[in-house]
Amino acid sequence: MRWLNWRQHRTEVCVLGLLVGLFGVALLVLGTQAHDLFPGGPARCAGEAGVDEACTAAFRRLDEEYGYLENLLAAFYLVPVVIGAFLGAPLLARELEDGTWQLAWTQAVPRMRWLAAKLVALAGVTVALTGMFTVVLTWFRQPFDAWEGRFQYDAFDLEGLVPMAYALFAFGVATAAGAILRRSLPAFGVAFGAFLAARMSVALLARPAYATPLTTMAPVPVGGTKDQAGYRPVHSVADWTIERGYADATGRRLSSTEYYELEEAANQAGTNLNQFLHARGIQQFGVYHPADRFWTFQLIEAALFVAVAAILIGVVVWRVRRRLV
Amino acid sequence: MTGTELALRTDGVGKRYRKGWALRDCTLALPAGGVIALVGPNGAGKTTLLRLVVGLLAPSTGTVEVLGHDVTASTPQTLSRVGFLAQDHPLYKRFTVAEMLRFGRACNLRFDQGLAERRLAKLGIPLDRRAGTLSGGQQAQVALALALAKRPDLLVLDEPVASLDPLARHEFLQVLMGAVAEGGVTVLFSSHVVHELERVCDHLVVLNRGRVTLTGDIDTLLAEHRLLVGPRTATDLDRAGTVVQAVHSDRQTTLLVRDGGLPAAPGWQAQPVALEELVLAYLRRSSEPSGTVWSEVAV
Repeated sequence: MRWLNWRQHRTEVCVLGLLVGLFGVALLVLGTQAHDLFPGGPARCAGEAGVDEACTAAFRRLDEEYGYLENLLAAFYLVPVVIGAFLGAPLLARELEDGTWQLAWTQAVPRMRWLAAKLVALAGVTVALTGMFTVVLTWFRQPFDAWEGRFQYDAFDLEGLVPMAYALFAFGVATAAGAILRRSLPAFGVAFGAFLAARMSVALLARPAYATPLTTMAPVPVGGTKDQAGYRPVHSVADWTIERGYADATGRRLSSTEYYELEEAANQAGTNLNQFLHARGIQQFGVYHPADRFWTFQLIEAALFVAVAAILIGVVVWRVRRRLV
Repeated sequence: MTGTELALRTDGVGKRYRKGWALRDCTLALPAGGVIALVGPNGAGKTTLLRLVVGLLAPSTGTVEVLGHDVTASTPQTLSRVGFLAQDHPLYKRFTVAEMLRFGRACNLRFDQGLAERRLAKLGIPLDRRAGTLSGGQQAQVALALALAKRPDLLVLDEPVASLDPLARHEFLQVLMGAVAEGGVTVLFSSHVVHELERVCDHLVVLNRGRVTLTGDIDTLLAEHRLLVGPRTATDLDRAGTVVQAVHSDRQTTLLVRDGGLPAAPGWQAQPVALEELVLAYLRRSSEPSGTVWSEVAV
């Protein structure tokens, strides 16, 4: 079976291996240069305590020279679905398309053993390839993470455990769709669509609710300008801010209309906005997940996607066992 | 194998797909040894029945026993006793012939690599060619060599020659019958062509619209049936319930009867019936709700 699996799927495995290798090497080369900006290692500059002048300079150069790369990394959101769906879609669909399922399942290997060997081998390759890529990417992002934390979408979704879980999910969808649609290409398409839909809805809707977010409330400072830095004391940049805004002295949150009315009133009165707000006891609030919840959130999200993948694989196993395909 | 062992026993087998029943109330007991032909028009349910026999499908009703074992159990031992050659003889197109043989060796308990290589060498099929680049006839031969090298006790073939040209068809049947002659293997194959079956087969199963309409040993079936030709008449023909088909022309009536050779009525002539005619009569009959077919032939 091992030889057969390798013979049947070596093309996909080699193509994916090559792609992961190429991108991996490119990231290693560029990443080494980016890491060289931080003589003591990027971790030293992480957090408020670490930010000294050298770090600030390094971060500025990082942003100037490699900032474009960070945006390009967004394309790697698709790495798990490419790997998982590319390996999962043909697993059953190609046999069904070519009629070779009738060949495969009438040899002396019972179909459940055949299926188990395929699923284990290809899911293993899916996790291994995604894992290798994730390790390189996580290392590459270290300087960026030191600056922005790991909780933003462009870090959280590419690092840690979740990419492997996403890939398994894509693998499960593609395999199940292949078993039902009996065609590789449509199965790949379904997996792609399901991946985008699931990833987006989970990241935007479910993820913020994995734990109760914390809230900070502080009076508007008298001095200072009204920019992002004004929120700095509220919590650390590495935290994941879900919502922020203004509340009145009793803690009731102001709607944007109410806030604009205040702003207008300040303008008409000709006073500094912050002083105006401070005088009325207006407070700034922030709703956020602290940075140290990173791994908890990673585990929850990974478990979620792995569970769905397991259900989909269960559907495949059930269909094959019941001889429905 | 003993002569009394059954190659296949089905009991009330039915298979329903989403669009309806493909096979209903199929009860068969087919002896081991020899060649069994499964005959029926396209869409009769032949492929469904064969897939049930080799365990690719599970029946919706009833049970299928092959060589004394329930096929849905599918252990390596029971699987290795049954060989299957699906319609259009699928192969892994990108495998070389040698890799197809390696596949057979990797997935079977008693695969006879030497046997397969000898067969292919005799047919001049090179082992280093990719399966997809071989001609249809050669692909069929590779698939057959694989199935035979498995050394099954029952070999099931679904329309094995339907897609082959006459020459390839002839060569294929020659190899198949040679393997049967070497002994040990029971062959069950389906065909929608009745032509030439008589020469090759021992046993016959006729399937139409998902139901078995005739089954039996071919020699016995031919001995039991006769054509009776007599003056045209439209009354009282089926008193004994033995008339399978009645055909009327202007002056004559021709009856196909299953009477086991009773003396013919005065004025009637008895003739033996050819297998093809017999099969066609049963196929026509099962298309009619009443059973017996009464048809007018314009002359």
